[in-house]
Amino acid sequence: MKRFIAVVILILSILSFGAVRIGITQIVDHPALNAVFDGIVKVLEDAGFKVGQDVLIDRQNAQGSMQNAVAIAKKFATEKVDIVVAIATPSAQACVQAITDRPVIFSAVTDPVGAGLIKQLGKNTTNVVGVSDMVPVATQLRLIRRIFPNAKKVGVIFNPGEANSVTLNNIAKSAAPSLEMTIVEIPGTSPSEMITALNSIGPSVDVLYIGTDNTAASSIEAIGNAALRLKKPIVAADIDIARGGGVVGFGFNYFQVGVETGQLLVELLKGAKPTDLESHVVGPDSLVLYINLDIAKQLGVEIPADLVARADVVVRDGQEVAK
Amino acid sequence: MIPVIEQGLLLALAAMGVYISFRLVDLPDLTPDGSYVLGGAVAVVLLHSGYGWAFSTLMAALAAGTAGAVVAFITTRFKINSLLASIMVMTALYSLSIRIMNAPNLPVPRFDTGKITSYEQIVGKTPLDDLLGDVGQTTFEGSGMRAVKIPFTNTADGHDLILIAVVVSFVALLVWFFLRTEFGTMLRGYGRNRFAVRVLGVNPDLFAYTGLILCNVFAGLSGALFSMYSGFADVNMGIGTVVICLASVILGEIIFGRFELMYGVIFPIVGALVYQFLLTFAMKYGYRIGFKPSDMKLLTALFVVAVIAARRFKKSEVTV
Repeated sequence: MKRFIAVVILILSILSFGAVRIGITQIVDHPALNAVFDGIVKVLEDAGFKVGQDVLIDRQNAQGSMQNAVAIAKKFATEKVDIVVAIATPSAQACVQAITDRPVIFSAVTDPVGAGLIKQLGKNTTNVVGVSDMVPVATQLRLIRRIFPNAKKVGVIFNPGEANSVTLNNIAKSAAPSLEMTIVEIPGTSPSEMITALNSIGPSVDVLYIGTDNTAASSIEAIGNAALRLKKPIVAADIDIARGGGVVGFGFNYFQVGVETGQLLVELLKGAKPTDLESHVVGPDSLVLYINLDIAKQLGVEIPADLVARADVVVRDGQEVAK
Repeated sequence: MIPVIEQGLLLALAAMGVYISFRLVDLPDLTPDGSYVLGGAVAVVLLHSGYGWAFSTLMAALAAGTAGAVVAFITTRFKINSLLASIMVMTALYSLSIRIMNAPNLPVPRFDTGKITSYEQIVGKTPLDDLLGDVGQTTFEGSGMRAVKIPFTNTADGHDLILIAVVVSFVALLVWFFLRTEFGTMLRGYGRNRFAVRVLGVNPDLFAYTGLILCNVFAGLSGALFSMYSGFADVNMGIGTVVICLASVILGEIIFGRFELMYGVIFPIVGALVYQFLLTFAMKYGYRIGFKPSDMKLLTALFVVAVIAARRFKKSEVTV
């Protein structure tokens, strides 16, 4: 028996010899953030790295607690983890503070500069590199202007407690005047607050806009139904949110954020240094235009034909057709 | 190992506050969930404004103490249960903290960044540009940052540990000396028997104020130091503070039993350390034996119940 155990340990140690240890930490269990993880794993395997053999992944979840996020970051710092991937703002902030001698990749952070992770987008001189999930807010407002030429008030549904959403809301506010729009804030720190705010403020706006808000994402079915009752169309920056009840969505899905994060990780695994790589916003190739003609018809919204022709995903008669 | 003790000691500060409100003066106070965040928010904002870390921390503790005074005011003036009063203040502090930071999350500045950011620079081109036209010049003004010095080095050599340990022992000794004074003795008496203290001819409201202010000063201090230690303040970082601290206090009481060392000021410190070790242990080995991340809160709750049950079994004198 002892010999057997010794052999097993020997085999295991040979197997894990040379394997790179990757610590992946995320702030909370959330479909969007889990999709980022899935995207990362997909890219790793496509690039020929076998998870569990060539790379060992230590996946940790802070369950929404900042203290846990810090504890995980410190755990990665003291254990021999070779590369750290941190998903979402607080987890990334904790890792960047705790780990300075090994590469840290951040992902799904909308404003990495404002969050204090890097000095600027592009190349930096630190151990930190990553992917921002900033969405093209101004382009989305233009899209709203194009589809709803008479829209004056755009209601932004967001959680004032989420850093990402507040950033997007601020950008929307600075971009709106040039398009002769005003931004009306529809805030909620929980799904129920959000629905209440939507029902009370919603009737006074022309169009609803939802960024990459986690709270809105987790209650999008309810928000979609409420918007339908109010007869207000939703334009979303996240394709998964758009699928939950939006008329138009222009943005990415979080799997794609994970794919671009994974590409950075693969570069590092192949020997690149964090200083060689550029921190960037989820690229133009990942942006998808989603149009739901069924809901548009229900609300009496006419979508310009050239937009429909350009759409990557169109929902018509209950059928979702991807180009 | 060292980081676990560091985090445990940071938690111990808040736990000391909770011990004072829940145990010593017997005025259950839920404000620490909010004043912990307030402490972090005030400290980081002051760092952004260029003040030193010591001054920022002190101001953070004072701001949090003010929140405690508000709770005491509502409780004593309107004769409302302290739990209810503290829930209201705690809720208000959520909004207030966002106001103070002007954002839900603020990092401790690590480098200098500019104020104005151009939108095009960040987002770049999109596939719809030809249809919708150029987005034009959109700039938005961030707050901008100047790098600051904080006392934490985040190295494993124990530098941070010594610093935190010094702060915690200093605070604990201060509380101990305070509780030894005549006023401190009366304060403890107030917690045991409200009516007996009245006989001494001191306005009992004074004790409510002292207890609740101290409770929140410690929560704010804990939040401020945690923010500098972790590199950011976040409006959601206070969720569950009271529950965790209470669990720590109870743990400490179990470990020491009736032996009230330093009037029990030692309870929350030991309890918080043990709690942090249990948490780390669960995080490290929990997944390997089939727990999911989402099970951890259940485990925490079950653990606290088990501990209380164990104490009932021992028929100890103290009640929860």
